Amino acid sequence: MLQFMANGLCKGSVYALVATGFGLIYTTSRVFHLAHGAVYTLAGYALFCSITFLHLPLFISAGLALLVAAVAGALIEVIVYRPLDRKQASSAVVMISSLGVYILLVNLMTMFLGNETRILHSGAEPTVTFANVILTRVQLAQIAVSALFVTAYWFFLRKNSLGRLCRAVADDSVLASVLGANVEATRLVVFVVGSSLAGVGAVLVALDVGVEPNKGFPIVLGAAVACIIGGLHRFIAPALGGILLGLVQGLVVWRTSDKWESLVTFAVLICFLLFRPQGLLGMRQRAEER
Amino acid sequence: MNYVFHIFTIISLYVILGLSLNLTVGYGGMLSLCHAAFYGMGAYASALLMVNAGWPFLPSFAIAVIVVGMLAYLISIPSVRFHGDFFVLATLGFQIIIFSILYNWVTVTKGPYGIADIPRPRLWGLSIASTPAFFVLSLVVTLGVWGLTRRLVKSPYGRTLEAVRDDELAALALGKDVIHFKRSAFCIAGSLAAAAGVLFASYARSIDPTSFTLDESVFILCVVIIGGAGNMKGPIIGAVILVSLPELLRLVPMPDAVAANMRQGIYGLLLVLLMRFRPQGIAGKYASD
Repeated sequence: MLQFMANGLCKGSVYALVATGFGLIYTTSRVFHLAHGAVYTLAGYALFCSITFLHLPLFISAGLALLVAAVAGALIEVIVYRPLDRKQASSAVVMISSLGVYILLVNLMTMFLGNETRILHSGAEPTVTFANVILTRVQLAQIAVSALFVTAYWFFLRKNSLGRLCRAVADDSVLASVLGANVEATRLVVFVVGSSLAGVGAVLVALDVGVEPNKGFPIVLGAAVACIIGGLHRFIAPALGGILLGLVQGLVVWRTSDKWESLVTFAVLICFLLFRPQGLLGMRQRAEER
Repeated sequence: MNYVFHIFTIISLYVILGLSLNLTVGYGGMLSLCHAAFYGMGAYASALLMVNAGWPFLPSFAIAVIVVGMLAYLISIPSVRFHGDFFVLATLGFQIIIFSILYNWVTVTKGPYGIADIPRPRLWGLSIASTPAFFVLSLVVTLGVWGLTRRLVKSPYGRTLEAVRDDELAALALGKDVIHFKRSAFCIAGSLAAAAGVLFASYARSIDPTSFTLDESVFILCVVIIGGAGNMKGPIIGAVILVSLPELLRLVPMPDAVAANMRQGIYGLLLVLLMRFRPQGIAGKYASD
């Protein structure tokens, strides 16, 4: 059982990264950023191309992948969401165009890079054993690196003036702009930060199991579920939700088999939406604020 | 010639799916992503009745439509409590749960292998086996669905539904039972999608869960959104465009694998461009709000 929980923790730490990015974007810009999944896949492919075709060392390739993710997120915001925001389009319109961006990008990537799983390196990974739990080096890196990035992100939001600006815009974007904040610039920062977090997650997964074009959507859906579990009123809550979601999935795989994983994930989502829509760390809202 | 009738039959199935989803998305203002689940449940319900129980076509059709309508009502009870993005997320959750059940409940649905040897319908001793004959049947059903939805949306019921979409609070203040209207629209849409599912099962003669994925729900949503939500022409235009587009792309020489992605990429681009410049769709008057 411990083994499954440990695998769940690894998975959860990736969800935590993608979900903090998704949650930051959602709370600040009110964009239900389904194209986050495409950014995630793009970062994985960037890593793959840079290692396989350009023969760059791993750390430089990982940096490149983050850069690609950040630029892609920023471009999507500037080209697609900003005009919609200026038109004050409804949330449904924004979500559908986000879905469109996702479909477009993923299919473009598949056209050029093929449908099959691209594995970065084959052969057995060196493993580490603690008390009956066997983890590969990459899995340990997943936990450590996500802990590092989530902590860094927390400091960014709490201690940095840019981070405080993000929180102000998330709280009330009209009031923030009245007080002189540049909302559009803040949104851009949010997309850059959020997309790079997704990029980190993508790199960690790509090193473990390789890159596949259609893996982005399950991840972004998992991230959305993690945001609901954690709650959307605190920026750090999606990370907690992601870890919990990974652990729940680990438990399901242990008790039954992985075929019921998605069913349980979304059953958890619907239970949370019904019984605790504010999430685990959420505060009760007054009815008129909802 | 059979090929042309085949395309027409597929178009008519998507017209049914589009018209029914239009009730929820266009007239009800609820962006639902579990329409393929109802479509699939209709297909499976009728296929199981026809293959395992040996029922004839019409009773299986009726039972499938009724049962799926009831299930859709059950799903609507938790779903319509949410608004906006959360409603989409909840329906998406139900889509994935139902797909997972169809795929993994092997004892009943035969899982990924699906159900084969579904008979083509026989109505009043008349066998509808050939493709043109089937097209006539599906055209009749499509016209029936069109008439029904048209009658619904022109009736006081449809007007109230639009009022709920445009301003829920105002409709509530006028004493309309908002929750009832949303649930019933969802339920009717689900049962009409099941009708398309029944037709699909006996037309394709074998079904498996991969026809009823989230991608299919997204595709049906594209039919409604690209054609134009909230009017009677939109879904028809959307179905014609989206079904015939890949057939036209066949004329362009390129490998099959690339063609599939090209087609999907074009849907994606169309969605982005339409949302930017014409959010009400090609035929629409109302911007989905």
